[in-house]
Amino acid sequence: MSQETLRHNDCMNFLAVDVTKGICRRTNELVLIDSEVCGSFTTLPKCKNCAFFKENGQETIGTCTAEKTQPWTFQDLIAVTCEMYAENK
Amino acid sequence: MSEKSVGVQEVTRSLADILQEKGIPISFQYGKAPEEMVDREVSREPTPRAKKLRDLYFNTYSSVDLEFPYWYTRKYMELDNEVPIVRRALALKSAFSHLTPSIYPGELLVMGKAHYYRGSFPMPWLSESFYVAKEDELYQEALKRGSASAGELSKFGAGGGNVTKSFGNVVSIAGKFGIRSEEVPALIKLAKQWVGKSVEDLGHKYEMMVPEYELKEKLMRSLICMFDSGFTLPQGREVINYYYPLQYGFDGLIELARKRKAEVAGNADGDGVKGMDRLYYYEAVIHVIEGLQKWILNYAREARRLAGITTDPSQKKEYEEIAETLEWIAHNQPRTFREALQLTYTLHIAVLNEDAISGMSPGRLGQVLWPWYEQGTEAGHLSREKVLELLECHRVKFTCIDCFASTGVVGGVLSGNTFNNLSMGGLTKDGNPASNDLEKLIIDAAMSLQSPQPTLSVLYDEKLPEDFLLKAIECVKTGTGYPAWMNNQGGIQFLMGQYGSEGMTIPEARAIAIGGCLETSPCTWHPLTLNGKKYWVPGGAGQPTSVGVHFIANPKILECVLFNGYDHRLKEQIYPPHNRRLETYGDVWEVYKQYYEMTVDALNKCNNIQHDIWRKNNMTVINSFLKPDCLEKGQHIGNMGYRYNATFNVESCGTINMVNSLAALKKLVYEEKKYTLDQMREAILENFGFKTAHEVGSFSLFSQVKKAGGEKYDKIHSDCLLANKYGNDDPFVDHILREYEEWFCEMCHNYESLYARPLYACQISVSTHGPQGAATLATPDGRLAGTTYADGSMSAYPGTDRNGPYALFNSATVWDHTRSQNSQLNLKIHPSAVKGLEGSRKLLELTRAYMRRGAFHIQYNIVDSKVLRDAQAHPENYRDLLIRVAGFTQYWVELGKQIQDEVIARTEYEQV
Repeated sequence: MSQETLRHNDCMNFLAVDVTKGICRRTNELVLIDSEVCGSFTTLPKCKNCAFFKENGQETIGTCTAEKTQPWTFQDLIAVTCEMYAENK
Repeated sequence: MSEKSVGVQEVTRSLADILQEKGIPISFQYGKAPEEMVDREVSREPTPRAKKLRDLYFNTYSSVDLEFPYWYTRKYMELDNEVPIVRRALALKSAFSHLTPSIYPGELLVMGKAHYYRGSFPMPWLSESFYVAKEDELYQEALKRGSASAGELSKFGAGGGNVTKSFGNVVSIAGKFGIRSEEVPALIKLAKQWVGKSVEDLGHKYEMMVPEYELKEKLMRSLICMFDSGFTLPQGREVINYYYPLQYGFDGLIELARKRKAEVAGNADGDGVKGMDRLYYYEAVIHVIEGLQKWILNYAREARRLAGITTDPSQKKEYEEIAETLEWIAHNQPRTFREALQLTYTLHIAVLNEDAISGMSPGRLGQVLWPWYEQGTEAGHLSREKVLELLECHRVKFTCIDCFASTGVVGGVLSGNTFNNLSMGGLTKDGNPASNDLEKLIIDAAMSLQSPQPTLSVLYDEKLPEDFLLKAIECVKTGTGYPAWMNNQGGIQFLMGQYGSEGMTIPEARAIAIGGCLETSPCTWHPLTLNGKKYWVPGGAGQPTSVGVHFIANPKILECVLFNGYDHRLKEQIYPPHNRRLETYGDVWEVYKQYYEMTVDALNKCNNIQHDIWRKNNMTVINSFLKPDCLEKGQHIGNMGYRYNATFNVESCGTINMVNSLAALKKLVYEEKKYTLDQMREAILENFGFKTAHEVGSFSLFSQVKKAGGEKYDKIHSDCLLANKYGNDDPFVDHILREYEEWFCEMCHNYESLYARPLYACQISVSTHGPQGAATLATPDGRLAGTTYADGSMSAYPGTDRNGPYALFNSATVWDHTRSQNSQLNLKIHPSAVKGLEGSRKLLELTRAYMRRGAFHIQYNIVDSKVLRDAQAHPENYRDLLIRVAGFTQYWVELGKQIQDEVIARTEYEQV
């Protein structure tokens, strides 16, 4: 993923407040989701960052291949609690 | 007089101007207010920690994410053919287990409905049609991506934290919630998975089989009825019960369920219909508790992670304490006040995540938590200051709770409020005053934090101590609008009447608490043991009271009577034509009752089907292990596992406009024969010569503007306005109210819920007096088309109560309030009228006087109307202004304009 497409809510240091902003855990300041990320960006587990995520041609929607049934999922689903998550290398 | 040119030669004259010219004595004030704007007398500051957390709320948009519905749906769809309750429990378990934990700096109490600070989510298994119908619109909004400026994103004014329109990468849903545009495709996909399967769709399929279905649909279109309770808010306006986890801990409950499972497996035990269901129930309870434990422990793990990366030693310690608290309560009975408070809050949001719920009340929380408070303070390891700080944090968490429901419900009915009503006072099981020191601290926290949730209610009883009552009065004077005052003895009488056949006794009825705004709810006592000492704690024991026939627009039915069942707004025949000439007042009243009964009959049958679908496929599992006697019986809510099931009701709205209109008809048409009914009909259709409220952009009567040439109706309009009005101790009109109430309260009992129990009367308006007024033509009492009805059920129409509060009280109590679940009276009082200790005592005496007349409820807005006008003009300066609406307190800026106009217009009492 290119730096331009990264958003603050893709970062592990980001604590979501609402759909526009959150708190940066490093600075304790409010930051807008859609503003440019900094050099301390750390990838947050999301489906789009998972090795089991397979795009299926639909915008933002994909498939979870970790399960036999291959259910659909979506790119921005946070996966910190998903036991099947495996970060894309 | 305000004048401005509108078009050629047209002069805008408001009704207020016209009345002033004519010298007609209608005023918004009883007494004389000071010229200058007067602030509320009592004002306090919260602790720095709670203030910071509340200020973050002020700066937060109501936000939606899809974690819960995604994981719920994914699991549910996997489990085709599983037993419904187990399928639902496993879906809930998956959803709770996967929620992302968010812990905010400074929080002492943690966890939330969703991972945003003020987060919520849609429940397409209840209702999905809105998203499917809006698919194109939502997609278009999502495609309009852009980089919104920081200024745009942080602008909070009218609307407060509501996302009233889309901007940047945020899409507005229902003018209230924001969702990230990149999640919109997933929202639509989720919704489509529930097409034909949701409670809404399945309920619709079967409700169409009701012969009266066509009438029901017309009633909904005309807004005679406000909403389908079966799939919009299937639970709520009830009192939660925290007892079992507080007594046994989650591990203890799993052990109990496992034991019972082994006992009941394969045994019908004499019940050939439901006996075998017990196995599946206990299995479901175990699954769902395991899901809750996982959810709590995910937060604990996050707290440990944060403690590991935080450099600030005090914040690190706080994270560690959070982790320890959560790790303990995930398994065990709480040991400390903080653990008990955290567990009750966790249970509360667990229940709220299970269903679309409004009005899940914590009940008498100060009495439930008393054992931990008492033992903690006696042992010296719990200070009042610490408790106050925790209670303020508790208020912030409750204020962050949002209820995601459809537009009409969230805006039109709820005004975005969630009605988590905390009751105080009342009596103990053996009839002694139940108020305690912890309840005083709850009031202190409410006074200092100034937030809408939880709203507070005093169960007023003559036995309650004066210092407690004065403390509550002091809180009212801060302008919070709470506590509301409910008549404890009246409520007990109602409970005995409605639930006596289900085994309610007087000692049990003393456990009474308020669910939602002011819904008297059946509760019970349980023996809680802490460190070997036994306490009797109260808690909810009944089904929701948010269910049944909700809300009926009384003036709109009268309109249909006058126009032979026809709705001129929709241009549609709603009721079958009665074809009567209505030659006597008795004829009008008779047809009114007939139409009303047809309304309740049709709506009740259809709602029964919706709720039946809900109980079969979407039954509560969490509430069904919290509420007695589910665990004992092994039955969920749908199998009547709850102790009290006769909770369905008929809710009315606009009673006072209907009563005033009947009085005007009786006087002007039938007694004095000053006008014919046809002349009255013509004046109504012509809106007495005024423009519509929508054209004017205000929903208050006195702001309405005359049409050019509208003078033709001046005479009849002033006669209608001057006809006898409720609220003045006038027997002519009060008799009409009494006749209506005696009929209405009795009539409701003629209808039966799906649980084969009689319905009863519920008389609150919440916010429906705005939209239902908007759908109603002018009324014979002189109210103009589209303007808001009088609020509540016992509040006078603004400006028409001219003889002071005691005259209003006499009018309001001509009928027996114990025959109804509630009644509702809102009074707006200028701060200068209740100044100082003397003012507090006067306000308490005023309250007592009303209660002693047998009334059920009163609540106060202590505010200068000039402040409200300024707040309407400059919302950006009033983010924290609280106002009482009708059974709930809300931030002024989060209210719709209809309701703001109505609150401004209410009569302001300058003396009590």
